[in-house]
Amino acid sequence: MHAIERMARHLLPAAAALLLLAAPALASAEIPVRVRVLEGSKKGPPRLDPRLEDLRRQLSPLAYVRWEERSERKLAMSQGKTEWIQLPNGDQVGLTLLEVHPDAVTVEVAISSQNTQSRLAVDRGQRIVHQVAREKDGAALFLSVNAWP
Amino acid sequence: MTDCLRYAPMIGAREGELAPDEARALAAHLAGCPACRAREAAVRETDGLVAEALLARASRRDFGPFVDGVMDRIAARRARSPLDRMLRWVGGHRRSAGLAAAVPVLAALALVVYVRTDRPARELALFELDTVGNVSIVLRTEDGPLVLLGDGEPEDS
Amino acid sequence: MEADDLALVSRATAGDDEAFRALVVRYQRKVYAVALGIVKDPDLAWDVAQEAFVRVHGHLAEFKGESAFSTWVFRIATHLAIDAVRRERTSRKDDVDELRDEDLSGAGEGILATPLGNDPQANLLRRELLGKIQEALDTLPEKHRTILVLREVEGLSYEDLAERLGIHKGTVMSRLFHARKKMQAALREYAEIAPGTGGDAAEGEE
Repeated sequence: MHAIERMARHLLPAAAALLLLAAPALASAEIPVRVRVLEGSKKGPPRLDPRLEDLRRQLSPLAYVRWEERSERKLAMSQGKTEWIQLPNGDQVGLTLLEVHPDAVTVEVAISSQNTQSRLAVDRGQRIVHQVAREKDGAALFLSVNAWP
Repeated sequence: MTDCLRYAPMIGAREGELAPDEARALAAHLAGCPACRAREAAVRETDGLVAEALLARASRRDFGPFVDGVMDRIAARRARSPLDRMLRWVGGHRRSAGLAAAVPVLAALALVVYVRTDRPARELALFELDTVGNVSIVLRTEDGPLVLLGDGEPEDS
Repeated sequence: MEADDLALVSRATAGDDEAFRALVVRYQRKVYAVALGIVKDPDLAWDVAQEAFVRVHGHLAEFKGESAFSTWVFRIATHLAIDAVRRERTSRKDDVDELRDEDLSGAGEGILATPLGNDPQANLLRRELLGKIQEALDTLPEKHRTILVLREVEGLSYEDLAERLGIHKGTVMSRLFHARKKMQAALREYAEIAPGTGGDAAEGEE
């Protein structure tokens, strides 16, 4: 009995592993997504929040000299399910994974107040930076979306 | 023939556009290749003509109304909602049937613009983009898209 | 002109419409010329050119001053024009960028019937020639028209062309090669057919 139990203990995890491998892996899988709300401002001393260093190059064409991270969320997103991101100005952004491929995802970014939906495909290693609030008093809000951060 | 395959596209390069060793290799190839020398002559012969032809047409056209038209469009955008704006712009201009299809697209579509970001350009990965509503410009960078909302008129500035 | 632009751009960004108008007037014809080269139709080119300035105006506040105002206008005009054209055309599978052996055939002939230079009928001939150039340009597929126009009218370097179009420098060079080759072929056709481009037209050709 003992030997069989031991054997069973070894086999079951292996069987479970096999099942996972066999399953249509992508559709039901959850993808880690890092979402940050950024504020870009023209006022104040030029400074890039150290947490946003990875975005420095991507933000370089813009005139905002001061960038701060206002919030960050690490999500586990599955295809088709919308996650809501709160903005400091009270607005909301809906993020939805429309398509998932091994090295690329298609994301929809929908801003409630702006009646805007953007559908963007990005490769692994790339990030979406999407303005989510228009400039007011020299500052604007952006969202960065990073799949497989 | 393979040499020409390599060198022919280099013909027409301006100063500084070829690396020094490329430029030397091209010069050496030209010295021994009449076909490529003929290609070079052809480039020199026609250099600047396309610009001249297009700028000549631009000169002949009356640009008096142009800037007023630009300012009118800007004012119209400020005054109206996005959908309204698009419809009025379409309706307010007479167009031939062929152009009518293009007009709403110009006004309503987010524009995708490639932007180099501080590094020697590598091929920018193709990505799909589709927007509805208030997105005006998408800057395509190596790191991914940078999306700007339309009507960058700042509020309360 | 650069320094001038910066001052105008600052004022325009701050809401000075007169400054913005001055910038438009400074670049309107050249932007129109680029658009015309790409879209071919003068009315559409006018629309594209105006829309380009409108878009830049809408984002003046967002773009860093380091990139010249003119660069932004041309960038936007280029992509508006390409978008406008692509809505109509069907892409052709045989339009590859890379160079193959067969592309090298047909070198070694003069293109222009009349050498450009000291001809008493210079004005008339030149205008005819420019007309032929325009016709030849219009026969090219969009991607070849575009790269030739940007190279010649806007004067972009290989590096800037690569950025503008989102392609490798190597592709820039081979695409320009294809574009010029097609131009030359089209010009030869017109030179053969047209009677008035100079007495040597027929002879100088083959």
